[in-house]
Amino acid sequence: MDIVEVLKHTSPALFLPDLQATDKAAALAEMVEGLVSGTSIHNPDTILQMLQSREHLGSTAVGPGIAFPHGRTLAVQRLTILIARSHAGVDFDSEDGQPTHLFFVLVAPPQDSGHQYIKSLAALIDRLQDAGLRAQLGEAADYDAFCAALKGA
Amino acid sequence: MHPQLQLLVALQDMDQMIRETEESREQLEDLGFRHEGLEALKNAREELSGKIDPSLASWYKRLTARWGHAVVPVVSNLCTGCFASIPSSFVSKTNVDKVQKCESCGRLLYWP
Repeated sequence: MDIVEVLKHTSPALFLPDLQATDKAAALAEMVEGLVSGTSIHNPDTILQMLQSREHLGSTAVGPGIAFPHGRTLAVQRLTILIARSHAGVDFDSEDGQPTHLFFVLVAPPQDSGHQYIKSLAALIDRLQDAGLRAQLGEAADYDAFCAALKGA
Repeated sequence: MHPQLQLLVALQDMDQMIRETEESREQLEDLGFRHEGLEALKNAREELSGKIDPSLASWYKRLTARWGHAVVPVVSNLCTGCFASIPSSFVSKTNVDKVQKCESCGRLLYWP
């Protein structure tokens, strides 16, 4: 799956360019609030509980300054991706102990055809290996500029 | 949403997470994810299960063994487990009275 396909699962309403939270619990809550206000999803508590459970399994902050909170839940009917950015950085229990600045939240229904959710995760992780790209994403002025950088345009 | 249904949905999400972690562990760890909290998650699952009414918990277990998923979303007034039509009268009851079951297959119904 390429990045253009992945970006079909997000939208400008699902882009939080300036996350305010600085700790993990508050950041997850703020991002779930963003998911609910940017879509027709109705059940924030269920999504938050699922993402918290996933973090208990092991932190999803696996890239340098990047986290990928993710999981499946009955609360959504299609793969939905929220992108968030924190200028101050969030303590997200990253492996390297450094603050997390970029978040890609992937929530998928219990069954999704062709495992789009795992493939999207893999495509994002692969693309974000590029340190120059990560710096660009940190400075992108808006959603369009963010997506253009991600696409390599 | 009925509080017991909320717990059942959370339980099913957790069961799926545990199952997927066990089935796709290698693939997910190749992507960099770690799963050192799997045992703790299983314990949290048991704790959550203990908060569910015993008859519903038993029904959930029976349905999961039979169908894989016990709780299914209702979409366009259809049970997405068996595609039976769900009477619109069910909708008004879902948030207050009780956990609703599909009259055709018995799955527990969730309105997303």
